[in-house]
Amino acid sequence: MQSIQQWLPFLIPIIVLQLALMIFALIDLARRERTRGPKWLWVVIIVLGELIGPILYFVIGQEEE
Amino acid sequence: MPAIRTERLRKTYGSVRALDGLDLTVESGTVFGYLGPNGAGKTTTIRLLTGLARPTGGRAWVAGVEIAANRRELAHHIGYLPEEPAFYPWMTPAEFLDHVGRAFGLTAGERAARTQELLELTGLAGVRKRRIRGFSRGMRQRLGIAQALVNRPEVLLLDEPVSALDPGGRKEVLELIERLRETCTLFMSTHILADVERICDAVGILADGKLIVEARREDLIAQYAAPVFEIEGENDHAAEIQAWAETLRARPWVSGVSVSGPGVRVVVADVEVAKRELLAAAATAGLPLTRYEMVKPSLEDVFLRLVEKGGR
Amino acid sequence: MGFFVALRKELLEQWRSYRLLVVVIVFTVFGLLSPLIARFMVEFFKLLPNGEQIAQIIPPPTVADAITQYLKNLSQSGVILALLLTMGAVAQEKDKGTAAMMLVKPLARGAFLGAKFAALSLTFALSIVLAGAGAYYYTLLLFQPLPLGGWLALNGLLLLFILVYVAVTLLCSTIARSPVVAAGLAVALVALLGAVGALPGVGEYLPGRLLTWGAAVAGGGAGTGWPAAGVSLGIVVTALVGAWLLFERQEL
Repeated sequence: MQSIQQWLPFLIPIIVLQLALMIFALIDLARRERTRGPKWLWVVIIVLGELIGPILYFVIGQEEE
Repeated sequence: MPAIRTERLRKTYGSVRALDGLDLTVESGTVFGYLGPNGAGKTTTIRLLTGLARPTGGRAWVAGVEIAANRRELAHHIGYLPEEPAFYPWMTPAEFLDHVGRAFGLTAGERAARTQELLELTGLAGVRKRRIRGFSRGMRQRLGIAQALVNRPEVLLLDEPVSALDPGGRKEVLELIERLRETCTLFMSTHILADVERICDAVGILADGKLIVEARREDLIAQYAAPVFEIEGENDHAAEIQAWAETLRARPWVSGVSVSGPGVRVVVADVEVAKRELLAAAATAGLPLTRYEMVKPSLEDVFLRLVEKGGR
Repeated sequence: MGFFVALRKELLEQWRSYRLLVVVIVFTVFGLLSPLIARFMVEFFKLLPNGEQIAQIIPPPTVADAITQYLKNLSQSGVILALLLTMGAVAQEKDKGTAAMMLVKPLARGAFLGAKFAALSLTFALSIVLAGAGAYYYTLLLFQPLPLGGWLALNGLLLLFILVYVAVTLLCSTIARSPVVAAGLAVALVALLGAVGALPGVGEYLPGRLLTWGAAVAGGGAGTGWPAAGVSLGIVVTALVGAWLLFERQEL
């Protein structure tokens, strides 16, 4: 347990960055009228997918026109 | 100098002859309707004239610049609206026009002025700050025209500019095109005759990669559309009318007769004689007529006749 | 001509589409995470049942482990992001028709293509700068300060490594008509590069060597990789020139 407390301060910036990316993805998703595949599925992927979720969303989830 | 001139222009895709020796001249300042059924080679012609595709054979000049020889020089003289204009959806219309202006090397002042002017012309000033992503087809088409006009082109090439639009959008875009006739030569491909009849001065008809006719609109109708007289009588005298119609065939000024019930369609060889003699002949026969009319031929009649002939 | 016009659009697109942000965040996360993983790997094992014994076999972590983790994580995510971000660069514009719209304007095709490579290079360069700075700082806190010159050289080599994949994918994107086909082509080429690299003696001359060279430079080890650097640069230039020549002749 002592070791976990030891690295917690180091993890905070990493967690903040991950959360930021997740929030940006969710904001974009909310603003967009259409996505490739259902929106709720993208919410799940973005939230549970750690880094990969938002990346997948930005690269293949966005549907134009 | 003609706005567009082509000499035996050819384009083949594998074994398909998309364009088979096109000779075309479009005079400066005209609105030219380029007609033809789907697959006749209209889009291919426009793609060659813009420099997007390279001819297999033949030559062509647009605004005095030989295509394929100097793509960059050509680009300064033309504007192009593809059938389905595509934009960067993350831009606003103002940003897209600005980007196009930059590509033409306009200064910041020129770009700002031109963007404003074109957004107003195309009725997009109200949505200038909205992303193109959410635009309707009609809005996209109008923005497509705006982007084609940024460089004040001498020749504007429009590929099926109104085909994909609903009646409202079509009317708007056609009115917009009509307003442009003062500023440049318009070359517009379409398969919709009503649009050509409405705004074009000259017409070229394409079938199977070949130009089968090129003329001024009025000349085309006068030359190719055989005038037709329609006569109709009382329903219970149909047999009597039909018998009379058969006798018309013998007259020298009649070239064809077709009968359906109490109605007769008379195709005449000499309109002037027909105007004087046809009704008199009917009157002499003592027929109970309800309708007598000389039908003005439409471009559609001409088009169908020519395309059928060309197809054979 | 037109290069800066096209570059401005590309950079704006990287920004608006959040692509710049994605690469920056992913790289920075891995930059910070790598020294952390290296430092606390042993502690992880201690949490497992029988972990104490495993932990005793593992030698105590050193700064070299941090460097290895950094290179492994950033090169892997770098290759994946290079493919994902580049595959559609040209193919999508051809597919949607925006390439035809813009290239009937007096915008040179070389400028159109070059701007795409330049914009992606800038995105990855910026991301590596941030990741490198983060990793440097965490390594300093968790281990000891790294030699600055060697660290900069390592990151330069890492950038070159990633740009090889960007350039090759850009070529694929120019060849293909759709982004999916471009991605398939690029994956096939990457796999081919991997297979060739597995042959004895060949790996010396391939981009992968840049990473081991970088590790040596930053960790104070020996060995150079100039031939591999030359080959990598050669691949980048060949892919870009090839894409340009091909694009000039394509009908849009």
